[in-house]
Amino acid sequence: MRVPFEWLKEFIDIKESPHDVAHRLTMIGLEVEAVEQVGSDDVVFEVNVTPNRPDCLSIIGIARELSASYKTPVVFPEHDVLAETGELDFNVDIVDAELCHRYAGRVVRNLKIGHSPEWLRKRLEKCSIRSINNIVDVTNYVLLELGHPLHAFDLKTIKGCRIIVGTPNRVKGQGTRIKFRTLDNIEREIPEESLLIWDAERPIAIAGVMGGMETEVSDSTVDIFIESAYFDPVSVRRTSKALGLKTESSYRFERGTDIKMLKKALDRAAYLMKEVAGGTICGKIDIYPKRYKPDEINVRYNKVNETLGLKLTKEEIADCLDGLGFEMKKSVNSLKIKPPAYRRDIKREIDVIEEVARIYGYDRIPAQLPKATIGIDSQWSGVKSQELKIKNNIKESFLKSGFTEVINYSFMGLQDIDLLGINGDDERRNLVQIKNPLKTEDSFMRTTLIPSFIKNLVQNLSHGNRELRLFEIARVFISSQLSVASSQLPIEREHLAAIYYKEKGKALYRDDTPDFYIVKGVIEAILNNLRIYDYSFVRSSEPFLHPGQSADIFIGSQLPVASRQSVKTGYVGALSPAIVDSLDIKAHKPSVIVMEIDIDSIIPYAMQVVKYRPLPRYPYIERDTAIVVDSLLEAEMLMKWLKSYPSDLIEDTYIFDVYQGKNIPEGKKSIAFNVRYRASDRTLKDDEIDALHKSLVDYILDKTKGQLRT
Amino acid sequence: MSYMEDPKQTFLEELKSVKNLADLANIKVKYLGKKGIITSELKSLSKVPPEERPLYGKKINEIKQFIETELDLQESRLKQEELKKQLLSESLDITLNGKFIPFGKEHPINKVLSEVTDIFVKMGFSVEEGPEVELDYYNFEALNIPKDHPARDMQDTFYISDDIVLRTHTSPVQVRVMEKRKPPVRFIAPGKVYRCDADITHTPMFHQVEGLMVDRGITFSNLKGVLVAFLHQMFGADTPVRFRPSFFPFTEPSAEVDIGCILCNGTGCRVCKGSGWLEILGAGMVNPRVFEHVGYDPEEYSGFAFGMGIERIAMLKYSIDDIRLFFENDIRFLRQF
Ligand SMILES: [Zn+2]
Repeated sequence: MRVPFEWLKEFIDIKESPHDVAHRLTMIGLEVEAVEQVGSDDVVFEVNVTPNRPDCLSIIGIARELSASYKTPVVFPEHDVLAETGELDFNVDIVDAELCHRYAGRVVRNLKIGHSPEWLRKRLEKCSIRSINNIVDVTNYVLLELGHPLHAFDLKTIKGCRIIVGTPNRVKGQGTRIKFRTLDNIEREIPEESLLIWDAERPIAIAGVMGGMETEVSDSTVDIFIESAYFDPVSVRRTSKALGLKTESSYRFERGTDIKMLKKALDRAAYLMKEVAGGTICGKIDIYPKRYKPDEINVRYNKVNETLGLKLTKEEIADCLDGLGFEMKKSVNSLKIKPPAYRRDIKREIDVIEEVARIYGYDRIPAQLPKATIGIDSQWSGVKSQELKIKNNIKESFLKSGFTEVINYSFMGLQDIDLLGINGDDERRNLVQIKNPLKTEDSFMRTTLIPSFIKNLVQNLSHGNRELRLFEIARVFISSQLSVASSQLPIEREHLAAIYYKEKGKALYRDDTPDFYIVKGVIEAILNNLRIYDYSFVRSSEPFLHPGQSADIFIGSQLPVASRQSVKTGYVGALSPAIVDSLDIKAHKPSVIVMEIDIDSIIPYAMQVVKYRPLPRYPYIERDTAIVVDSLLEAEMLMKWLKSYPSDLIEDTYIFDVYQGKNIPEGKKSIAFNVRYRASDRTLKDDEIDALHKSLVDYILDKTKGQLRT
Repeated sequence: MSYMEDPKQTFLEELKSVKNLADLANIKVKYLGKKGIITSELKSLSKVPPEERPLYGKKINEIKQFIETELDLQESRLKQEELKKQLLSESLDITLNGKFIPFGKEHPINKVLSEVTDIFVKMGFSVEEGPEVELDYYNFEALNIPKDHPARDMQDTFYISDDIVLRTHTSPVQVRVMEKRKPPVRFIAPGKVYRCDADITHTPMFHQVEGLMVDRGITFSNLKGVLVAFLHQMFGADTPVRFRPSFFPFTEPSAEVDIGCILCNGTGCRVCKGSGWLEILGAGMVNPRVFEHVGYDPEEYSGFAFGMGIERIAMLKYSIDDIRLFFENDIRFLRQF
């Protein structure tokens, strides 16, 4: 809302500088976002009016607020309508009184349509409103000045000296389809529930939103009918929304207009039209079926102080409210208040308490820390604290492993999930769709974080980055419903995902570790750091991963069986070369490792308590053995067999070398492992271990169908 | 039996030609080994006439000692030389870069988010979460924002269905927590929120921290106390703070909280639009209508709620002028924090 300072001063005698007034407005809740110098002699305030205060969408409204704050009276403009000639021979019929509480109108004859005088044009311009002609300009002027929307019809186009206010349903019967051309020359289909203004034959305006093309004031107009009415805010808002048509008028009606100001605005407009277009003011009509009757609000003095943390006296409280136009009756313990018609936002005691605080000044209320109830009840520690700790733990581990955190939008497109080749019965296809996305490629909520990472990869590689380590912790959204109408919320799960890429070749220090193992290592380190040891990596069948370099991660003792999806907690692997090829990346077929884990599913396993184990007191004996086995034998199988050998003396085993090539037959590989033996109650003897180890090796050779490497 | 000639001279000459420890070992064997010159001589001492034995024995022992001392001396000399050689051969160019993986960086938004969270946790607030895809009821209705109310225009909403939205603020968590618990409650709820808007100052997703404290006897004055304490911790104890009236349907009285512009110290600049103040928080006393929705008695309990945008704080803190940078995830940007 733009407020020219000189216009404001017409209503209130303020001595303060514009800067001081702007500050005062801001501090009573009418934030002045800018003070703009206009010409040499005026400034315009850009006031941010909150939706609860439609009464401040006018010069008079702003003046009233300043009046309450400065305790200076408001002066109303001159608009005696001398030529009042009694009732108008117009038949106004309000069919839907719930939607139109009051309807008034006035006829002005013999007008000369033309340019507005300079003073009028200038004021409109300051408020960023373009001058059209003197009649339209006056209605706009009164809108700005008194905050009440008016509409002017060309009188001769209104058929049958008749106005009907009603919805198509009520006026024409249920289910009537109405097409109506608004004055912006667009034919619109009108919802049956929308309130219209009709003459004897047809609709002539959409109530509170926009007038019709056919009844518009034009250069040839001589006589006009001015409408000033109170329309139900909800009804106007629904109509405006349904039609996608927002106007200065609908903006005010949907927030609530001043039913009492309505007549004043009408008279003011008639008076000004006579002034600027030389017409004669004729009769008036005013139908007022639904009067404004505010409920009395009981405002307890002690409640005011209890809410604000003040110790105001009864007089101080009444003083604050004085000047806001309230009808006030004082009693021993409370004030009985009736708000004026322009303050429909004041309905309850708390609304009045806010007014006291506003006028008293928020800055005068002391800042005092509360005397809080303190407890060790679980509700103080927060139910989420354990999960947050785990999340922070994971995050710290990734940061220390050199991964940088990203935050991607929660959106994705159908093409993203198609690119990954995720098929129909995968739950990642249970998409949550946004009805009004900003872009079609952002129409769905993510069910996996990987598409975002692919975009991060492409973007960052295009800047010449040789290395990329990124991770994100964010939610995915799995739709839990089939029908859109259902009001069941989707399942939200916390996911962790990461991407790893490193340019090959140029490196100061050689490290030939395949990228897959680097990322797998980070995952294992994180799981171990959470004290999760019961996990397994199983060859993955994710469609978007390299089948030879990818693994699904299972947590807990459930071994992957038929229902893989149910126990799987994530995956790690190289992005399928086919997908990498399809990306806009200059680097030659980069190997890109991605991983994704459902954090929610690992949390239950991470809540283990640390228990101390005594340190061993006797020395260990180690043996190394290399065996030659089928090249398809996976390490995990060998480890499983090693662990299955029944001996309490085996403390630890690990694989320290895997070799294929020279001296090893085609289709075979050599695996070397180390076994550490220890007894908890004695020192082991070499010959005892020689025998035990031989037996273990025989067992392994039998299981693996392998041979000792010689 | 012939007496041995004094071998010292020969020994010293041989010692001179020694180049390494192996040579030295050979000489040692030659003189002091089991069949060495000195050892043999000592063994054959029995063949020396008894009267000459003591003198001759003494002489040989002197020679032996001399040789041993010289050999030890030479050995330590050689060892030092060899060590020197080894050290020289193992010398590195210590100016080459060390092998390391630089630590990753926390996203600036989460960095600020943790900072905010930590301050409130210290003040005894717990941390809560709520769904990001939310029922219209929690996001609007229960917060006193009915359908067909202009207050809905304050937030451009993404819709999933008529009843389901992407939450436009973290305020629904207030309602969800109060529905579950009896007062007193004191928590913050950080998280992602969504609005259908995109330009240099708006992204369709951003982050908020919501806060709520409800107990007996909580006042507007307490609201000011807690938020001033927070802002002083966050921006420095000298930061001016001001509260001015505003409107949120779920609080009343409502306040907008400003801090003195941290870029121009309140003298007025482009960022604060010349006002010297920066809007940083929205807050207010919980509207009794919200209490009625969750079954709290507004006559018995009162409370305050507040909410802040994390992107805005991060932008101010790091002088970032385009909010979209936060979500482009360009590592040249992310590595700066
Ligand atoms: Zn500034």
